Amino acid sequence: MAVAGAAAQSLPSSLPAPWWRGRPGAAVLVVAGMLLSYFGWKHHWAWPAALEWNSFSPHLDRFQAWLSNNRNLPHPNIAFRIFNGFANFLDDLVSWLTRLFYYLKWSGTTALGTLVVLRFGGRKAALGTLAAFASFATLGLWDNSVQTFALMFAAVGMSLAVGMPLGVLAGRSATFNRAITPILDAMQIVPAFAYLMPVVILFSVGPGAAVVTTMIYAVPPAIRITALGIRGVAPNTVEAATALGATRWQVLSKVQLPLARRMLLLSVNQTILFALSMVVIAGLIGGTGLGDAVTNGLYTDPAFAIFAGAAIVIMAIALDRATEAMANRTDPAQRHLTAHKAHVLRAYTAACALVVVAAVVLGHVFGAGTVWSRWTAQDWLRTYVQRALDYIQNPGTFLFRNLTNPTGNFLVQHGIQPLRTFFIETPWPATFAGLVLIAFLLSGLRRAAIAAAMLFIVGLVGEWANAMDTFSQVLVATVLTVIVGLAIGVWAAESRTVSRVVRPVNDVLQTLPQLVYIIPFIYLMPVSGVPGVVASVLYASPVMIRLVQRGIEDVSPESVEAATSFGATRAQVLLKVKIPLARDAIMLGVNQAIIMVLAVVVIGGLVGSGALGYEVAQGLQRNAFGQGVIASIAILALGIALDRVTQGRGAAGARSES
Amino acid sequence: MSTSTTGAKRLGSSSGNPLIRAEGIWKIFGKNADRVIGTADAELSRAELRTKTGCVAAVRNVSFEVWPGEVFVVMGLSGSGKSTLVRTLIRLIEPTAGRVEIDGHDVTQASRDELLQLRRHTSSMVFQHFGLLAHRSVIDNVAFGLEVQGKSKAERLARAGEVLKLVGLEDAANQFPNELSGGMQQRVGLARAFAVDPKVMLYDEPFSALDPLIRRDMQDEVIRLQHETGKTMVFITHDLPEALRLGDRIAIMRDGRVVQLGTPEDLVGSPADDYVSNFVRDIPRSHVLTLRWIMREPAAGEADGPTLDVSTTVRNAVPVIAASERPVCAVENGRVVGVVDKEAVLMAIAGEGD
Repeated sequence: MAVAGAAAQSLPSSLPAPWWRGRPGAAVLVVAGMLLSYFGWKHHWAWPAALEWNSFSPHLDRFQAWLSNNRNLPHPNIAFRIFNGFANFLDDLVSWLTRLFYYLKWSGTTALGTLVVLRFGGRKAALGTLAAFASFATLGLWDNSVQTFALMFAAVGMSLAVGMPLGVLAGRSATFNRAITPILDAMQIVPAFAYLMPVVILFSVGPGAAVVTTMIYAVPPAIRITALGIRGVAPNTVEAATALGATRWQVLSKVQLPLARRMLLLSVNQTILFALSMVVIAGLIGGTGLGDAVTNGLYTDPAFAIFAGAAIVIMAIALDRATEAMANRTDPAQRHLTAHKAHVLRAYTAACALVVVAAVVLGHVFGAGTVWSRWTAQDWLRTYVQRALDYIQNPGTFLFRNLTNPTGNFLVQHGIQPLRTFFIETPWPATFAGLVLIAFLLSGLRRAAIAAAMLFIVGLVGEWANAMDTFSQVLVATVLTVIVGLAIGVWAAESRTVSRVVRPVNDVLQTLPQLVYIIPFIYLMPVSGVPGVVASVLYASPVMIRLVQRGIEDVSPESVEAATSFGATRAQVLLKVKIPLARDAIMLGVNQAIIMVLAVVVIGGLVGSGALGYEVAQGLQRNAFGQGVIASIAILALGIALDRVTQGRGAAGARSES
Repeated sequence: MSTSTTGAKRLGSSSGNPLIRAEGIWKIFGKNADRVIGTADAELSRAELRTKTGCVAAVRNVSFEVWPGEVFVVMGLSGSGKSTLVRTLIRLIEPTAGRVEIDGHDVTQASRDELLQLRRHTSSMVFQHFGLLAHRSVIDNVAFGLEVQGKSKAERLARAGEVLKLVGLEDAANQFPNELSGGMQQRVGLARAFAVDPKVMLYDEPFSALDPLIRRDMQDEVIRLQHETGKTMVFITHDLPEALRLGDRIAIMRDGRVVQLGTPEDLVGSPADDYVSNFVRDIPRSHVLTLRWIMREPAAGEADGPTLDVSTTVRNAVPVIAASERPVCAVENGRVVGVVDKEAVLMAIAGEGD
């Protein structure tokens, strides 16, 4: 009896606490509190003017004026001269590359691009490249493509010149790697759109500014992947070389760099894709080319904007495939060059060079550059695209009446609008405290403190209402992304067929520049924030799908087998074993998704999403520098806050341990 | 191979100075590792030290000498510190304390440049996972050490070709490492180490990753190369038969310390502690022990039987002893030092496995 009594007494403590006494319960309580204060004190307590730093914007404007005055003096001082020299160098680099491509003509540039890919990447990739060049001409966008090309190559060259040495350093020195990782992490959180304003203040509008913004965006992946490649070289080969008396330089040049060649080329691949993504947006700050054609044509000439968008898509895919093929070809273990083979390849290279020269000469003889830009299928294609646009936007059609319009309206009426009202009209202390508390519940004290500081900065610069507006759009888009990502990710993990279908679609979606996603939805769902939200879902979903799929596929087969042996159904295995065990991957997916969503939602400011993105767009289009920078700072702060909140406790623990 | 040859070599080599002299080597991983040495903490067991200071003692106060032409084997289970020890010899891992001297040069005090010269010309190393360069052909891999030294292309390719012939890989010169089997890859590793014509060769478990049959081939290869070139070798292994086959002297390591250092006979005949005797328990004693271990003083009139060298193993002595009516005389330098009768041989064989 005594034993039974003791067992009965100790029993309750071993039972898990009910959910409402844990963190989920607390979160529900916090939300309830926020709702209560919303209904009780609606419209009271907007962010107080006393907590706003109103003179910040004029300060920034004055700083910009001072900067541009001093820079444009007949005899600027040494610091400005260096600065000007750098800016001019970038401008010159772009214009030099543009002239080079013009000089090569369409025929020469096409031959050069195709043959380089053929020589180093193989026939399939070369065919793709050829098709891409042909399509630029067919679309009548040759000039714009050349400008984008020049801008991108200048940016890629500069990014690699900076990124690769730093990457090598980070790959070789653990100390340097530790120092640089948090900076790279931070740089990747910042939405591309937020870089634009500060760079414009420093470099003013022009190709140079476009190159600098692109560099800021493209250098981190260059560093990361280079470092990864160097670290990926088997330590025993490095040790063997060291034991034979190789110096540090010999180890680098004879062992690490050659063995990391494939990763180094993949880092070029990623740098190119990142650069292209940014170069297109940089159309807003003086980069000419396809991005410019998109942003200017969106409302004035939709068909033309769509052509430019298509050209960007084609360029991204062709560049990705070509550089990836080159990277895979040069895998050192696969590339067994004997003297004979090397000889043949040299002859091949020479032949290719000859063909390029011939193409250039022919181009000059027949005036190919100019002929091609006049001889296009643009007008012919335009009639079809215009017809499609007319159909899409005709309120009487099935598509508009029953699909796009209701979807758009539903998103606004039941998603964006109520959330926006809720976040803006709830008294700010309640919103502020509520968000910070949720951050604490999700991710612990330190991250909550950072989130609080960031939210305070948002209010301080006077962007509280706009930020809450952006936040509500981000929230809607993230929820949609998580739903889409979980559904498709789980399905793809469970079914080989689905996985086979989803993978190539994901591959393409992940290579496209952010701006491209928005274009179709401007015409499909032209209601306030909807294009930005839907585009961001499309942009972020592939990553979410991938992480969910990988998380579920990585669940150890033993666990699944064990559950199955107890008689669990497939649904039980999924819900009780796989998804819980994949939780970390899914949380990581949410974290990534929310950052990617923010990046695209703010670009939506260009096309009627309002909020912070609109402020930046206005700043750019009307030279309202201070206003634009302030909005950029708010975007940055919001990004950091969202990142910290969604990092979760697991990630926090893992990071502090490493 | 037989122990008689290695025994003769040992006799011939102990004159002059040792080629490698290691004195009191310590290697402790972790923060403030150098503060541990010389305190009472240094005497703690590994686990205790780890819980107390967070440091891991990989090598603890190891000293030994290696004579020219000798094969010195360091044997121990994984985690005993043997691989760390061999790396401290040429400072691939910096020793926390202690002094290493190779060929009269103080390695531990050497400048960066002196260290490079030592690694380039005096020592070379063969690794467990080969450490070949995947992007280079076999001959370029073999020539790598010479390339690092700055030798001309013609010179290094000629030398690499020679060495490839030595290891029987001349036909594979233009192949790439990933086209070769594991055994052939390690032959490339051997050739690369030989190509620089070092005085000392360091082997870090070179054959552990290979299949047993190939391992045996490679051991024969090393013994052959050692005979032909007379290199001094430091050989790391976790495989006792391998150690007994190759080693003139063997150091057995446990938890970073050397628990016994001696000839194969010493280890099998008189293990220092339970750990060593557990190790050598399954080794057939008659394969290792020589007549020296089982002979007795000759009684009057016994010194005229058939003679055998005192360093003959029991196993090899069996045919002679079995065929002889009289006890066999063990001879050292032409002098009879003892006799062995059938009873002694049977006792030695019967004692195996105890």
